[in-house]
Amino acid sequence: MKLLKRAGARRVAVGAVVASVVAGTVAFAPVSAAESNTEGMQCDTDAHSNFSLTAQAGYVSTPDGNSIYMWSYGNSTRGFQLPGPTLCVTSGDTVTVVLHNSLPEPTSILFPGQSGVTADGNAAQPQFDTSGSTLTSLVQPAAPNNGSVTYRFTAGSPGSYLYSSGTDVEKQKQMGLYGALVVRPAGKTNQVNDRIDSAFTAGKEYLFLLSEVDPDVHLAVERNLPINWSAYTARYFMINGRSMPDTLAPNNASWLPGQPYGAMVHIKPYDKVTNPLPATIRYLNAGTVNYPFHPHGSDERVIDRDGHPLVGPSGQDLSFLKYDLDVGPGQTLDTLMDWRSEYNATSNPIPTQIPTITDQLLVGTDTWFSESGYLGTKNPTPTFITSNNECGEYYHIAHSHALQQATNYGATFGGMMTLFRIDPPTGCPTK
Amino acid sequence: MVTSTVPARSGSAFSSLHMPQRPRWFKVLAVVLVTLLLAGSGVLARDALARSSRAAATTVPQSAALEQQLGVRFSRVAVVADGGLITLSYVVLDSDKATRFQSDVAHPPTLSSEARKLSTSRVSLMKQGHTLRAGQTYYLVYENTRAAIRPGERVTIVDGSLTLAHVPVL
Repeated sequence: MKLLKRAGARRVAVGAVVASVVAGTVAFAPVSAAESNTEGMQCDTDAHSNFSLTAQAGYVSTPDGNSIYMWSYGNSTRGFQLPGPTLCVTSGDTVTVVLHNSLPEPTSILFPGQSGVTADGNAAQPQFDTSGSTLTSLVQPAAPNNGSVTYRFTAGSPGSYLYSSGTDVEKQKQMGLYGALVVRPAGKTNQVNDRIDSAFTAGKEYLFLLSEVDPDVHLAVERNLPINWSAYTARYFMINGRSMPDTLAPNNASWLPGQPYGAMVHIKPYDKVTNPLPATIRYLNAGTVNYPFHPHGSDERVIDRDGHPLVGPSGQDLSFLKYDLDVGPGQTLDTLMDWRSEYNATSNPIPTQIPTITDQLLVGTDTWFSESGYLGTKNPTPTFITSNNECGEYYHIAHSHALQQATNYGATFGGMMTLFRIDPPTGCPTK
Repeated sequence: MVTSTVPARSGSAFSSLHMPQRPRWFKVLAVVLVTLLLAGSGVLARDALARSSRAAATTVPQSAALEQQLGVRFSRVAVVADGGLITLSYVVLDSDKATRFQSDVAHPPTLSSEARKLSTSRVSLMKQGHTLRAGQTYYLVYENTRAAIRPGERVTIVDGSLTLAHVPVL
């Protein structure tokens, strides 16, 4: 008995030590980062394509110092984020999304373009009130205040899709209940769709989820006041839940804790040997109007619309080049983008006199122009002009060409705007 | 059946074992509870320490002289664009002074690294050209000349004779 007691005591003592070690380890282990890439699309993935989202309230910050009450789907283990997590799955997979609802009203998720969508085991379908005459939701919702619903579907055609609320849609989408679903072709991780010509450079995958905010609507919801929709005026315009210049900040920037996704494209020029494949940029519109998104300096090739490749009946390639990507509400476009030097200083010089910086109309006391038309070449500028160009790299602005959408509450050079950075083939020596 | 026991050693760690014996599951449960309790309080302590540390590391110092002269309060220095650019954010305190500050494109503030002898005064686009509203935040974008400014370090903002030292870089 004594031995048993001593053994028991040892177990308790050992247990206490283990408890202390475990507690210490848990307490002082680094906080895990959900994702590690500083730029480019960040995916939420799961080996079995099982996801748990929580509809919840939080706040986002805007570059002009405002703080806005939002609703969003957050990964249930990470908390609030705008937009909702980018869910990456493979075409044909069975995908399960459990929606938990911590909001004070019912909410739901629509998964357009997916096959056999069910909600709690029943076919996903519109819901009506008990009289059967009033539509209450486009799909079965999760009850307010900790209700839940489980959606299951077969991932559809490879491409990009918007997932968003199907309940009180005008209000809940405006409040932020949306995210991106990226369906990859089976066995072809670095292709946008099943066509070989949709291949892109690994790691050069970008997603621009475009949206808008009328802060008065959000204030009304926060204060539980009626919303005056007749006065609706969007003031903030966002890419991935951020406005310029926050769009340039890295993924998971510490000063934007609820807005984890950056929106800057960073590439090198096409080279048939060292960089033969383009980047891909996925555009999604979670707003109420068209966003005519315009990257300066290079067209993009539109290859998918709404998650379907642009092909003819016999598989003909119907993709097309576009310099103004007019993304409609609820619509998605998948594009391929590369930057090609048309001219070369030795083998194919620009067949005209290149204007000097002082010949250009838009010049002030500073410029981004390298005083050369060739990527990677940096010529001296006049002493009274400051060059912002470090190694001949290019920064191309990309923005909504509805210019009121390129503002932060009316202040220009904000809103739905970012930069495309193109480095010389050898990179930027100082970086 | 052995009914006698050896007297406990006075003051030993085993004295407590002479309390009425509890079942094994009770001890296991106690260990689990203690573990969870310690872990929980550890997590709370860690988060509090992390918050405190982050707050200290990201607090931007203030200068009454600078604010009086320029009409702005600098609020953030951040490295963006994959290290290629810097954003300098500021809150407008006095609209007239801030508009003059914003419009003086020939004399932008210089950001000097406190970790190396490099600086940048290369303000690029985003001079917003508005009458600046008091209380609102605006920004300038800088070229990060020769990677002068790096996250986690500190810079000194210099505007003429005015300086604001030890500004954290995010």
